[in-house]
Amino acid sequence: MSSGTPSSTITLTSSDGVDVTVERQVAERSVLIKNMLEDLGDSGEAIPVPNVNEAVLKKVIEWCTHHKLDPPSAGDDDDSRRKTTDIDEWDQKFMQVDQEMLFEIILAANYLDIKALLDVGCKTVANMIKGKSPEEIRKTFNIQNDFTPEEEDQIRRENEWAEDR
Amino acid sequence: MIPPLQGLPDEILYIILCHCHPCSTVSLEQTARRFSTITREPLLWRFYCQSHFKFWDSRHDIDEKLNCPASSIDWKELFIARYHIDRETTQVLNSILANQTGRIRKFHTITSFGYDAKDTLLTHIHSESEEEDYLARRYYAQALLSCLHRSTAIPEWSRLRNGEDVSLEQALGAFDLFLPESGFDDLKQITSNLDDIVTQFQRAYPDVRYFTPRQKALSLALYLRISNLTGIDPGRDYHRLDHNFLGIALTDPGHNSLPLISAAIYCYVAQCVGLKAHPCGFPFHVHVILRPPPGIDMDGNLLDEGDIGDPMYMDPFRSDKETPASDLQRQLSFLGASSNEQSVFLQESLPSEIILRCGRNILNSIHHNSEAPDLHLATVDLVSAKYSALWASILLANEPRSIVLRDYLPWLMEVFATDFTCDLYLIEQYIVPLFQDMPEYEHILDSLHVMRTVDERSKQIHQRSEEHNNVNYRVGQVFRHRRYNYRAIIIGWDSECGADEQWMRQMGIDRLQAGRHQSFYHALVEDKTFRYVAEENIEIITPHVTDLPQLLVSAAGKYFKRWDQTTRTFISNIKDEYPDD
Repeated sequence: MSSGTPSSTITLTSSDGVDVTVERQVAERSVLIKNMLEDLGDSGEAIPVPNVNEAVLKKVIEWCTHHKLDPPSAGDDDDSRRKTTDIDEWDQKFMQVDQEMLFEIILAANYLDIKALLDVGCKTVANMIKGKSPEEIRKTFNIQNDFTPEEEDQIRRENEWAEDR
Repeated sequence: MIPPLQGLPDEILYIILCHCHPCSTVSLEQTARRFSTITREPLLWRFYCQSHFKFWDSRHDIDEKLNCPASSIDWKELFIARYHIDRETTQVLNSILANQTGRIRKFHTITSFGYDAKDTLLTHIHSESEEEDYLARRYYAQALLSCLHRSTAIPEWSRLRNGEDVSLEQALGAFDLFLPESGFDDLKQITSNLDDIVTQFQRAYPDVRYFTPRQKALSLALYLRISNLTGIDPGRDYHRLDHNFLGIALTDPGHNSLPLISAAIYCYVAQCVGLKAHPCGFPFHVHVILRPPPGIDMDGNLLDEGDIGDPMYMDPFRSDKETPASDLQRQLSFLGASSNEQSVFLQESLPSEIILRCGRNILNSIHHNSEAPDLHLATVDLVSAKYSALWASILLANEPRSIVLRDYLPWLMEVFATDFTCDLYLIEQYIVPLFQDMPEYEHILDSLHVMRTVDERSKQIHQRSEEHNNVNYRVGQVFRHRRYNYRAIIIGWDSECGADEQWMRQMGIDRLQAGRHQSFYHALVEDKTFRYVAEENIEIITPHVTDLPQLLVSAAGKYFKRWDQTTRTFISNIKDEYPDD
């Protein structure tokens, strides 16, 4: 029977059916898993993570392992954390992945309820948008322009104030 | 496969946008329909308004707006309006820094934005010393902010003058807003500091609402004294300038204040716990008068119908005991006050009378300081303090045509013309009307007109040509006066003495070795005064900037862009006047 000591481990099953063993303390960076363990107790059985595939799960675990000793984030509506787009060096390196992986990590962090990781991911995307024109943003994210020329013209005029920075 | 960014749910896009600059958000809005709704989300724009701007002009009623449902306010429009004001503030400030012409008008453009300009000004006040014009930028941003604060303070006194209801603490707090170093953002902050004391007092005396009026009055005085919130610590000079300011008394850890300020603090808290307390117009030493509510006396005993309970007096500055009315009467008789005068002195004072009195106290303190100057004690800027006292004294002079009013006018005009020319609009709006139909009226209008004309005119250019060969020193050099030993910065020059005959005679210019026909220099001295110095008295020095008084370096921003460590001189920002220096 686990007494929740830091050394105990649990097993997660990814959406593609792969079992991954992980330190309990690391897994508990995910509020979803933490609550589950608290509610259900640790039966020793693998916990399914149906929305996250192995590659992404491993990436998320890598992040959680590095940050396992971080103090818990302060409250949900901590607006101050949103003001800065500074990302620490390790996280920056960690986020140097292709766009698909980046968005998968963000979705996984959202599903697993890992606020700090979700934030780092969102900041990374915000930095990719920063300082770009609409056309450059379209190129970066492969976005199809579906406005009619009239609509586009109108939106552009509405937002002229932001152009000359 | 769905392109990833478009595929993200709105809740995640929202978080991403919270991390984006609003300008990026509108760029994203323009890429595709997918982002139309989320980028216009009112909550998002409310968040931008809150995270980008701390200060809002009162016309926005921002607190009220924040309490409304987000969708009922056009937050994006509000953001854009503020964004424009920020940019214009910076542009106009840059133009103020670029040349010396039209500064009064430009100042007015910025101050008319009210508190909407404050965030941007604060950014400029905190300019990094890497910026090429950081001294000038900090100086003029600070001057603008001070002007903005005065534009908030002066209307309070003006309303008081017009008989409108202004609370005593706001009217006293207006003095603090004149001090650039007070750190007060607005008058609300004074009230909130006082409210904190009320809370602490109620916590210390949880049963206070069951007390009789007398018990309340005494326990409050005791509480304030024990907490050291009233009076002056032993050993401190009573006349220190900072003892006159309510805001300083509330925020400074020493909490030292004159009787008037101590009484104001006492009255505020007393009123909040249900006492009828007011400062009383006792001469030399402001007391507090407390009256019982109708129907009972101060001890809570029921009175016969029609009877009114006796008032009680307190001196929160000095004591936690009641001051017997008989003591006060005895003192007044001793001073030779008639019984008529006595009853006036023992009555409540109006806020306008207290403000007038506070202004007088400040001028007294300044006078006192000038006799025994102690620079270490100069925590308050003397000129700003004097300026506040003169404004209050003129605005609240009890008789419009009183001699006092006319006595103070030249004094105010002098301080204004020397240090606060950018307040021209305030003088025009609040001082000029007071003198209508008086002989001074035309005279004030004339001098304002002259100031404005001079301000709009380009400066006379002092190029260096052959006839200036005798001018050996340059604008921006630091020197020590050979005879008086003070340090100063050169801010201008003439190839020979340009002062008038009378001044030259008074100063004994012809007794100098080289007399009047040598070069003369305008100088900004370390005590922030201006002097006109003969070249033979100048000994150029090349100090480190850290060796110079901080006050002098900040004041240098009026004429200089920055300090140059290589040449150990200040870099001129008055090239429009001295192009070759």
